Amino acid sequence: MKRSFYVISGLLALAVLLILPAPEATAQQLRVAYFGETVTHYGLKVAYEHPLISRTITRNSARKEFLFTPGLAVYNHPDNHVGVIVSPELAYQRSGRRGGVFEVSLSNSYFRYFLAGQTFEVDETGGFRRVRMAGRGAYLPTVSVGFGQDLSIRKNRSLAWYARLNLMQQRPYNASTLMRFGIECGIRKPLKNK
Amino acid sequence: MKTLYPYLLFLVAVSLFSCEKDDATTTDRTLYLRHKGADMPIWVRGNRTANKLVLFLHGGPGDCAMCYRHYLKGLENDIAVAYWDQRIAGSSSGKVDVKTLTYEQFGEDAYYVVKLLKEQYPNTRIYLVAHSFGVELAWQFLTTNDNQKLVSGLIAVNGTFSTYRWLVQMREWVLREARQQKNTEIEKYVEAHPITAENLGTYEWPELYKRMLDLNGNPVSIYDDKKFVLNYLFASPNTALAQFSHPKAYTEYGETTIRGYDRSAFLKNIQIPVALFWGKKDGVVPIEIGQETRDLLTKTAPSFVTFEQSYHEPFMTETDRFVSEVLKFVR
Repeated sequence: MKRSFYVISGLLALAVLLILPAPEATAQQLRVAYFGETVTHYGLKVAYEHPLISRTITRNSARKEFLFTPGLAVYNHPDNHVGVIVSPELAYQRSGRRGGVFEVSLSNSYFRYFLAGQTFEVDETGGFRRVRMAGRGAYLPTVSVGFGQDLSIRKNRSLAWYARLNLMQQRPYNASTLMRFGIECGIRKPLKNK
Repeated sequence: MKTLYPYLLFLVAVSLFSCEKDDATTTDRTLYLRHKGADMPIWVRGNRTANKLVLFLHGGPGDCAMCYRHYLKGLENDIAVAYWDQRIAGSSSGKVDVKTLTYEQFGEDAYYVVKLLKEQYPNTRIYLVAHSFGVELAWQFLTTNDNQKLVSGLIAVNGTFSTYRWLVQMREWVLREARQQKNTEIEKYVEAHPITAENLGTYEWPELYKRMLDLNGNPVSIYDDKKFVLNYLFASPNTALAQFSHPKAYTEYGETTIRGYDRSAFLKNIQIPVALFWGKKDGVVPIEIGQETRDLLTKTAPSFVTFEQSYHEPFMTETDRFVSEVLKFVR
């Protein structure tokens, strides 16, 4: 039942991307970021930003946007696991007059991890069977809060930096769930110059 | 996306194999045992030249092994140490049914861990260093079938062989300390709540445990050790928040399973060398349990090492001496 819910919601999110054209084609951006639990659990995230709804407030020139941001993150937790996260993310982003950016997002992510060691499974005879690329899949509902700076506004560079904290819940994990956190720091680059 | 695959596979492959080191003198390996839904890590570190390996059985249940490497690392200069995270403990993962949290299952897991280590490290003598719940697990393992023949010795650190005897001795400790500290409230509570074999199934042992802690039965916390915390967060392979997800899985264990644990009738069958290491000031598992254990081990001659300044975790409070006593035992 839960699995069906995630599959359907993932497909719906994908449909949103395919059906709705971007309000401004030039506003599509690519994100490249450091991603990891800490500096010692390091990784890389790449995401594509596709605006769904964009509105600029005339009074203070602030721009409010709802974005669909599918992304892929890979990180290494040494001697523990290598994690791969596929995140179809929906984000709300506000860019201020001076270029300050604030965003919150939700994602129904899928998490696949590979155990960082030789894995032996007990077989029916009580011996061991080597399991190659052992690991498991899990769902990873995620809430993210971040901030950043759009450098195109004051420095005339078509680039932005951002940082954010991801709170993720891995389910299942053993007999229940596991809270994970991830820090993400990177740049946003428009796919076409504005 | 397709162009990303080679890079992704490269990163996975590099991560999985880059840090593994295993030769005739040193080992630095990460193994996983997959059994009944659990993926349990076994980190093996240290010196192989002596062909001796200590398997650390952590406490809890639900605690972690590798997190205590901070205190046990000194052993690795002379011997190898295997840090095993039990099911629903430490960094173990998978999809595990809480019904498997039984002594029989923990004992079976231990059997396969030892068997796997013997296969991976042939001609190596394996010793158990068990702490707290790990001692219960060790007695379960050693007194099942001929399992004791698989290992060369046991060091039992502040752990019991019987829940009933543990509660009897902890109650005695609480009563004694309450009187010494003139805490009449606790004294009256303990006097009003005797423990017998008949009321073991319903005895509110967490209430007794709480009062033991109130009387400073174990004031030492690993989280007060800043170096430990930094190491745990940044330099160990532990899953940072996993420790907070485990306790709720042990509700049934704490309410029912623990009450039925008693291996006292089987300790007389133990023939391998045993050492009993005890923090003298411990209120969690008082030293009298160590003395009872020694009296039950009639077919071996256990040595008794007392750590005068320690509570429940002597390897934290008297680290250097603990390491040297372990090395003395395995030599």
